[in-house]
Amino acid sequence: MTAVAERAPVVAATPRTAGRWSWLRERGMGATVLVAAISTAFGVSLISATGYIGAAMLATPTYGSSETLAVIVGILGMLLLAVAVYVAAIVTANTFATIVAGRTRRIALMRLIGASARSQRSEIATQGFVVGAIGAFLGLVAGVVLVAAGLPVLGRVLGASVEYAVVQPSLLLPAAAVILTTWGAAWAGSRRVLTVTPLQALGGSVEQTHEDVAGRRGRNAATIALGAVGIALLVGGLLLGLLSPLGVIVAFFGGLFSFTALTLAAAVVMPPLLRLTGRLFGRSATARLAAENALRYPERSSRMAIGVVMGVALVTMFAVAAESAKALVAASSGGEADVYFNQMVDSFAGVMMALVAVSAVIAAVGLVNLLTIGVVQRRRELGLLRALGLTAGQVRRMVLLEATHITVTALAFGLVLGTVYGWIAAQSVLGSVPMPPLWQAPTFVLPAVPLVPTLLVVVATAVLTVIAAVVPTRLATRATPVEVLAE
Amino acid sequence: MEITTTDLGLAARVQNLTKTFGAGESGVRALDAVTVGIRRGEFTAIMGPSGSGKSTLMHIMAGLDAPTSGRAWIGDTEITGLSDLELTILRRRRVGFVFQAFNLVPTLDAIGNIMLPFDLDGRRPSALEKARIDGLIESLGLSARLRHRPHQLSGGQQQRVAIARALATAPDLVFADEPTGNLDSRSSREVLALLAAASREHGQSIAMVTHDPVAAAYADRVVFLGDGRIVADKPKQTAEQVSAHMLAAEVAA
Repeated sequence: MTAVAERAPVVAATPRTAGRWSWLRERGMGATVLVAAISTAFGVSLISATGYIGAAMLATPTYGSSETLAVIVGILGMLLLAVAVYVAAIVTANTFATIVAGRTRRIALMRLIGASARSQRSEIATQGFVVGAIGAFLGLVAGVVLVAAGLPVLGRVLGASVEYAVVQPSLLLPAAAVILTTWGAAWAGSRRVLTVTPLQALGGSVEQTHEDVAGRRGRNAATIALGAVGIALLVGGLLLGLLSPLGVIVAFFGGLFSFTALTLAAAVVMPPLLRLTGRLFGRSATARLAAENALRYPERSSRMAIGVVMGVALVTMFAVAAESAKALVAASSGGEADVYFNQMVDSFAGVMMALVAVSAVIAAVGLVNLLTIGVVQRRRELGLLRALGLTAGQVRRMVLLEATHITVTALAFGLVLGTVYGWIAAQSVLGSVPMPPLWQAPTFVLPAVPLVPTLLVVVATAVLTVIAAVVPTRLATRATPVEVLAE
Repeated sequence: MEITTTDLGLAARVQNLTKTFGAGESGVRALDAVTVGIRRGEFTAIMGPSGSGKSTLMHIMAGLDAPTSGRAWIGDTEITGLSDLELTILRRRRVGFVFQAFNLVPTLDAIGNIMLPFDLDGRRPSALEKARIDGLIESLGLSARLRHRPHQLSGGQQQRVAIARALATAPDLVFADEPTGNLDSRSSREVLALLAAASREHGQSIAMVTHDPVAAAYADRVVFLGDGRIVADKPKQTAEQVSAHMLAAEVAA
């Protein structure tokens, strides 16, 4: 080709053969380690905290027959851990799908030489296993340190002092779970390897812009069924809640099922919402390019956004449920707020919000990572745009808009969902509480959205947007037309 | 007073241009005191074997790269010493590009790609420009393809969209870097004929970098580069003449 092409070091086209472990330095692997470490550390902390609380209750006779309470705390902990691991699995599967997209040329070359698609895919899954193991180990260490430092504080809060061994064999459970899910997620995310053909190594093939959403009918039917059952249970919980507070248990499963269905259907639900947000940005070239980029891989963007939706919705749900309950109790006692009740509800909701926020952090890591890899894989396109007259400022604006696109959509959707779920929770618990002036049930709970937690969620999302844009922007503006076009 | 590029009848020129990559022992002199002008309204081919410096010359002339020393003008604007922002806006408004491959933004459809220089500038084309663009789309046979995305177009169609985009703003100069490098011979002939027609019928100044003698034969003028210097500057050539010249240079080396 041209003079520059021969002289410029061809970095992107050739696989780095520096060593057996050089792939660990590839973009995306670090994020996967981080996600695995956060989930493991979270799991370790939850197991230790619930174990400690259980031990404290046994040691303190004033709590009375607290075995039921210990079981409930344990189940709650497991659910929170499951949510975190679930979000982590989505993030990891997404990361690996993105890594595979970036490796297409190399995989095609290996296929050309004679490697089977299966062997290529299991190589990637193995890398997922290794990365998961590294992350789980780091998370285990960090978690134990955290617990050793945190338990005395927890003891003081509970007013209990018990002997509790920090290092326990049960702590290996979250680590093992995280390794297995990372491995599985890497396998699931590398599905696209099977579609790479040896011909793609020969170049000249034009990039497919919009990934086709593979229609999997069996899965679609299951998703619809799950969603229908979920909604039926939500309604049932609401109705049962008019008679007994136990309605919340029915509603809880309704929430679990319907939200899972929503997550499975993310690739169908999110793109129209993302497109709607794209319209808000106007018709300038940068806005249009950003909107198109956010939808370039609809499945990827959707799954990424649904992670953030989940975090926002869960935090909002606890906030709205607590606020609605407080408002109702205040109303039932003739407008007087019950300080003790409010304090109890606030601290419970606060602890729960902090715990589900961990899932939101994991989703945030995934989002930052997705945008970064997206920019790295688009260096040629950015070089072309720079040659045609896109200024460095316009590049910055474009990347920021791309991040905003996903976060704003996820924030709005999450707030709506969280408010609905939170209200259902409050209504199903309190629907049977008699209310003045007639002191009759059923009671209708008005959804109340608390200002401070909502603002916190909005601010946190804004911060996430900026963070998610900083690294990719730096990489994007570094692309010069010549070096990119010389490839 | 200095003689301007326009006075010389040129669309772009470089003076005493030198470009070195790296330093010391491993340093390579890609361009060695090159002085050349691209005549207004002409289709100029820049020929040379791999490593002759022809792409480096084009990159500097188009404001994509900075020289080590020497000066360059597009129209009457000296581009050496301009800031990145000034250069970017100059490229957007006054230079058109057709590359060998990866010419189009994959997320935009054909018409989106053609209008990109205007969109980046944040303006709508004037009535005159609109008529011009419609004429281009018509003559390039793209009317039925405007809503297609790049991956739905053949290589030849993609290059035609790129040509439409490059000509849309009626720039001072269109740079074409191996525009037929990825095409079959029929599409190549089409693309070259379109470039030649743009120059002949609309007075568009075009500089094309190529190492293909057949492509160079479509140009009004052929500038030969070798080892970072201009070794010959000839009026319209046949493919045979260009080949003979290249072969002679190869044997002499």
